[in-house]
Amino acid sequence: MSENKINIVLAGQGNSGKSAIFNFLTGLHQHIGNWAGKTIEKCEGTLFYKDYTIDVTDLPGIYSLTSFSEEEEISREFIIHQKPDCVINVVDSTNLERSLIFTLQLLEFQCPVILALNMFDLSKKKRITIDINKLRNLLGIPVIPTVASRGYGITRIIDKVIEMEGDKPEYRIQGYGKEIESSIDKLALKIRELETPYPDRWIAIKLLEKDPVIMDHIRSKDAGILEEARQLSENLEEIHGHDASLVIADERSHLASRIARETVKLSHRHKTTITDRLDSVATHRIYGYLLMLAILGGMFFSVFGFGNWLSGWLDSIFTNWHGYWKEQFGETIPAALGWAGIESVLALVQIALPYILPFYIILYFLENWGYMSRISFLMDHFMHKMGIHGKGCISFIIGFGCNVPGCLSCRIMESKRERFITAVLVTLVPCSAVSVIVFGLVGKYVGLWWAFGLYLLAALVILAIGKILSRLLIGEPVELIMPMPDYKTPGIKTILKQTWNALKEFVYIAAPVVIVSGVFIQAVNLAGWMPAISSFLKPVTVYWLGLPAVTGILLIFGILRKELILVMLAAYLGTTHFAEVLTPQQMITLAVVSMFYVPCVATISVLWKEYGWKKALLICILEIGFAILLAGLVKRVLDLFW
Amino acid sequence: MFVHILTNLEQMEEQVGQLSLTEMKEGQLGTIISLLGGRLAAKRLADMGITPGTEVRLIRKALFKGPVQIEVCGSGLVLGRGLASRIMVEPR
Repeated sequence: MSENKINIVLAGQGNSGKSAIFNFLTGLHQHIGNWAGKTIEKCEGTLFYKDYTIDVTDLPGIYSLTSFSEEEEISREFIIHQKPDCVINVVDSTNLERSLIFTLQLLEFQCPVILALNMFDLSKKKRITIDINKLRNLLGIPVIPTVASRGYGITRIIDKVIEMEGDKPEYRIQGYGKEIESSIDKLALKIRELETPYPDRWIAIKLLEKDPVIMDHIRSKDAGILEEARQLSENLEEIHGHDASLVIADERSHLASRIARETVKLSHRHKTTITDRLDSVATHRIYGYLLMLAILGGMFFSVFGFGNWLSGWLDSIFTNWHGYWKEQFGETIPAALGWAGIESVLALVQIALPYILPFYIILYFLENWGYMSRISFLMDHFMHKMGIHGKGCISFIIGFGCNVPGCLSCRIMESKRERFITAVLVTLVPCSAVSVIVFGLVGKYVGLWWAFGLYLLAALVILAIGKILSRLLIGEPVELIMPMPDYKTPGIKTILKQTWNALKEFVYIAAPVVIVSGVFIQAVNLAGWMPAISSFLKPVTVYWLGLPAVTGILLIFGILRKELILVMLAAYLGTTHFAEVLTPQQMITLAVVSMFYVPCVATISVLWKEYGWKKALLICILEIGFAILLAGLVKRVLDLFW
Repeated sequence: MFVHILTNLEQMEEQVGQLSLTEMKEGQLGTIISLLGGRLAAKRLADMGITPGTEVRLIRKALFKGPVQIEVCGSGLVLGRGLASRIMVEPR
């Protein structure tokens, strides 16, 4: 390592403002959100400060460094293996006691730690006084107050990092109870003789806690130590009457409260705050749900109204462009393929700007305000019927805008099982492109209530599939444990930054697949295979679904982006007045197939990326089969009554 | 004590003044006595500062069998109903 190179890691609980510090340090923007555990992947950036090159890594928001969930394990592995020169533990200073538990766990790693007391301004506002000197003495590490949103205190952290680099501090050991400490010491002494990448005291603690990963690690080196650890944990269990891992966790938690009691003073503890007053409505048993419906309903209708207007306007511009293209390049095959590529890009713009952009702005507003946690609270019981907990509702809401970010947001779920269930269900949520079909076809020509009926059908389908999936996929459902943050005034800059990042992510993931498949399908079309395909699909489209044969082609184009079904229907039938060419039953059947038949290519690419191609393919095949079956049944039911 | 409580649910109810978190009234304060249920769940809770001896205040319960919101360590926390029903509290 060169002399002036320093590695630092930011670690802290979700919602502590860690990402804001990261942004401030590196200028590399990424997500900051008001719901815990939002940053999941690690982010890296470099800072040039004075004569130093400082590599900064931002780790997922974590509550515990035990192997409870994947992200936590990733972080633990990271700190242990990368051996950063310094860990900056960012904590929410309005919530010091809970944060200190994590700080104590970090200290067990025996690496240099700096405590950043973030949101220091908020703690002052809440009349919380923190005795920084005392905290520094009790923990034995530097403690620096910061306000990340305004950049206050951050250079002091970096100065401290550099200072510590030259003069490595001694590790002060945090004393747990007497019996625990003597057990740790006994084990640590033996572990010191082994070759391991981990600090000995930390291994000793993990062995007492019976951490399976660490036990395997030690077993391969000296099985005798495991036996001794087992005896010592049994001793502890005898003294305390419960599991050794809990004895240590309890001890940590109590030590944290003791430190908090000695350093934090609260005045006016139970004064009614704005948060309390807002929550008495927002989480109310009746008004809470009404407010939620009003907020979400308002959001969908305003986004949809705005989207339709802007999309129509963009459409008229892009149609002209197609004219210019034809004039310039003629109607040769390469020209048509070139236009197919451009059209795919324009299609992305047409979905990203009118629908996804305003949707994200409102979404991030709600999130930064703190409302998303309230929705999770209200919806938890309902979501449990689908085998997932309340946080999954957030992914559903995002899915309404676009399934791509909806599927990405499933990372907020703790376990793999929950994440997968949520992602599958999100692909069934009618996104804004599907809404275009439902409202443009059924809502306009059959009746608005029929359109709402289709949404109800979607809700029932999601509920049913969720129930089936939660039965099929083995595993204990994870219960909701979620901090309820105070409401905060959302910063416009933060919202715009997040929206920009989300849009960028959407484009990065969606664009390549959409362009390639757009050109490919156009090539098939130009080769003149479409009539063959549509007659091949006739048994399904015509005989089972009772639709015109041309819908076979539409459904293939619809994989690119679903509202193409409607656009191309107009082109093929030569009219936008669909009532002249389709019966109401046909419109409803077509809408049902479009809703469920397959996620669009962009969503498929996310599923592929997150869950592997096998699962992505399986989801597609099952959903195609399911959509065709369901739409056929819907048609038959409609035929009975019409 | 764990086994004792688990095997003798009726007796547990007789133990004076012990309630599960879900049985507390809104606004009521209490001290956590024990955490029943899995080791992992208990550990996850301990990492959030919920351990025997900690003071909690029940803020509100959601409709039907929804989650409960509590105040612990001076800040709000939401727990699923199943989890909360296994947290035993001695109310004040």
